[in-house]
Amino acid sequence: MAEQTALRGDLAASPPAPSLSEDWLAVVVGGLIFLLALALLGGVDLLGWATAPRTWVELGKSVRPASSLYAAYGPPALLLATYLSVLALVSLGALLLGSNLIKFMLGFSVIYWLSYLAWLIGNYAYIAVTTPAEMQRLGIGWSLKLTGEAGYLIALLLGLAIANFAPPLARWLGEAARPELYIKTAIVILGGFLAVKAAEQLSLASTVMLRGLAAIIEAYLIYWAVVYFIARKWFGFSREWAAPLASGISICGVSAAIATAGAIRARPLVAIMVSSLVVFFAMVELLILPFLARSFLADQPLVAAAWMGLAVKTDGAAVASGAVTEALLYGDAAARGITWSPGWVLGTTTTIKVFIDIFIGVWSFLLAYLWTRHIEPRRAGDELRFVEIWQRFPKFVLGFLATFLIVLGIGLAAGTATLKSLDGAMTEANVFRQLFFLFTFFSIGLMSDVRQLWQEGIGKLAAVYAVSLFGFVIWVGLLISWLFFYGIMPPLAR
Amino acid sequence: MPEDNARPRIGAELSKIEAEPLLPIEKKLLAWSLIVGLVLLGLLVWTGNSALPVGH
Repeated sequence: MAEQTALRGDLAASPPAPSLSEDWLAVVVGGLIFLLALALLGGVDLLGWATAPRTWVELGKSVRPASSLYAAYGPPALLLATYLSVLALVSLGALLLGSNLIKFMLGFSVIYWLSYLAWLIGNYAYIAVTTPAEMQRLGIGWSLKLTGEAGYLIALLLGLAIANFAPPLARWLGEAARPELYIKTAIVILGGFLAVKAAEQLSLASTVMLRGLAAIIEAYLIYWAVVYFIARKWFGFSREWAAPLASGISICGVSAAIATAGAIRARPLVAIMVSSLVVFFAMVELLILPFLARSFLADQPLVAAAWMGLAVKTDGAAVASGAVTEALLYGDAAARGITWSPGWVLGTTTTIKVFIDIFIGVWSFLLAYLWTRHIEPRRAGDELRFVEIWQRFPKFVLGFLATFLIVLGIGLAAGTATLKSLDGAMTEANVFRQLFFLFTFFSIGLMSDVRQLWQEGIGKLAAVYAVSLFGFVIWVGLLISWLFFYGIMPPLAR
Repeated sequence: MPEDNARPRIGAELSKIEAEPLLPIEKKLLAWSLIVGLVLLGLLVWTGNSALPVGH
């Protein structure tokens, strides 16, 4: 939400300009983790100490490092090393973004440990285990079968509880609650992880990408027009409100609302208010849609994945929904004796979301053209420039593409042994990706102060959002996902 | 979630919105967007199933 913070600043006073944008920062942080992990190809294990929870019954055996080479150091030292490394990385980032460093570090430390606690709880055997064999191995008689990804939802609920029951604490943590930065960093790291899967199944990966591209073209053209019409005709919104609202609801949440508001020269407060609503509804979708997918799309995991990408707004919530959906569907499939290769649901959701992000600049340019030429002609000298497409391009996508293409290139050129090392390297980087996911979930919850939104008189805006989202966007997204992804299945795990 | 006391209240802002009838260019934008969207939908589904059949 750095964009939101920046815009709020515009309303009050001009804050010092950050020396690095949030997008580029995500590329730097995610890229650094990616490169350190890649050293494993040269036989140097630089990230093997990164420590994540595993399914546990005894607390003493609840975490382990990514590489067994580091197991001798013991959990306390490894947990501390993981925390300090992430703290150092994000604090450097906060400094470059112009944040209050001390406040950020304190707030982030609380977010880190509460998120980690949620992750740990999510991996408790009675919550996470999905197969009878694993239940037998761990000596338990039942389980909620939510997989370890339940930790994400617990992090979200923790954040939500703080936002609504302890607002002063939420405000204090606010400096470090940056879901967009965290998810963009995670997506950069995710590129390499997904590329390993793509290298193993190139034909399927190409199909997913091409069908994903087709699906988002449809989403742009159909969603936006209908939501704009509903906002203008049924709810009487002005053009200044309707266009960012249509982009926020129909395309990609916060980024699209801000880009559209800029394109049509709306006042900054319009983007801010729409963004507040987007974050709230994205959180609602995140809590509902993966479970709906579990009920109705259990045998069509990639339809469910595409649906999350097309229906859930904001990068953070959408990709997070993909992760939860994968956990739920894979868990149920495992209970039926089917084990799909991991990462395909998450990968499909992320691919769709990244394509949507790429086109925000083009769509904004188109709207800017219409507004400047036909709706509100501008003054002489205030011309529309093609460079605006680049300015609105989400730069973190370049990081995602870079990590994806580097790993895909190595994976396709390499033999089986190198591919295995590559898989190991990306698995180590994946610990950090999961951590950034957790921070995203927690921060989304932390920013969803329902009471404040209600007190501000959100009713009419929320009404158009709810009608459009639940009455149209979600279901058309499901139809488009069904048309393009029905019958395409993830490969079985080897 | 930084505090911003200068942030206007949404309700107050919304009450200031004046009626703006749909302009012909807006109607044209909506119509073209939907027509192109629906035509492309058929085209993309058809070409997708022809060029990238499920199961291959």
